[in-house]
Amino acid sequence: MTPTPAPRAWIRPCTRIWLLLVLLSVVTFVVGELGATGLAPSLLVLGFAMLKGQLIGDFYMGLRWVSGLWRWAVVIWLLVPGGLITTAFVMAARGTA
Amino acid sequence: MSQTVVIAPAPGRYPPGDLAIWIFILAELLVFAVFFAAYAFARAGDVALFDEYQHTLDRRAALVNTLALITSSYFVVRATAAIREGSARDCARWLAGAIGLGALFLVVKSLEYAHHLEAGVHLGTNTFYMFYLSLTFFHFMHVLMGMVILGAVALKARRGGYSATEHTGVETGGVYWHMVDLVWLILFPLVYVMR
Repeated sequence: MTPTPAPRAWIRPCTRIWLLLVLLSVVTFVVGELGATGLAPSLLVLGFAMLKGQLIGDFYMGLRWVSGLWRWAVVIWLLVPGGLITTAFVMAARGTA
Repeated sequence: MSQTVVIAPAPGRYPPGDLAIWIFILAELLVFAVFFAAYAFARAGDVALFDEYQHTLDRRAALVNTLALITSSYFVVRATAAIREGSARDCARWLAGAIGLGALFLVVKSLEYAHHLEAGVHLGTNTFYMFYLSLTFFHFMHVLMGMVILGAVALKARRGGYSATEHTGVETGGVYWHMVDLVWLILFPLVYVMR
């Protein structure tokens, strides 16, 4: 008996990731064009950037399929500058810098 | 073949590509993390200056460059998938596309630099431009280096140097390119949007 081939998705997973990356980038641009200032919009676009970074690390760099510490290499990297940038922007917003 | 195989390497303990490139990538990412933090804390010390001169940047050009790098990363994923499926010719074509988009990034960024230079902007103009020029030029050089690496990989792929069973070089060049993209994904909102 011939095994049934797996059904082909109409769009590849990597293409779906690309579309999501494009969408988040365009939204980030629109936030900038709207002239949104302050802590909330800044942290929103930073959050988008970190999500995009995780998608790149997991699906494009292939870390999703890796076990152990390497699995978290990009996530940890994103959290370090992400946390420091957040701290700096909170300090700026509160005028405590 | 299942569609998930396209982007998924064989599960394992180590990431795809040569382990040495990952050590190099982590060192590079650490440098960029320090750069980003330094920018953010310098801004916290003089928010008005950073907000004023951020207005002089071309956000549309930055969006074009963001889309160019994201799409080039996608092309590299397709190149890796192609070689995993045994198609060296398709691998070389996807890599050529990625290199082309890298070149577009360099052209757009160079036009931005030319605009600033014409306006008399240089590293010593103020703290904002010192960070903007040094940070983006440091990244610019990484894009250039990534293009050279992808070019060498594409040539080898075209000459039949990789196969479905042996393509570590494609994965190694690919993860370096993704690192270049990853850095820009933080740089774009931080320098061009957040204020």
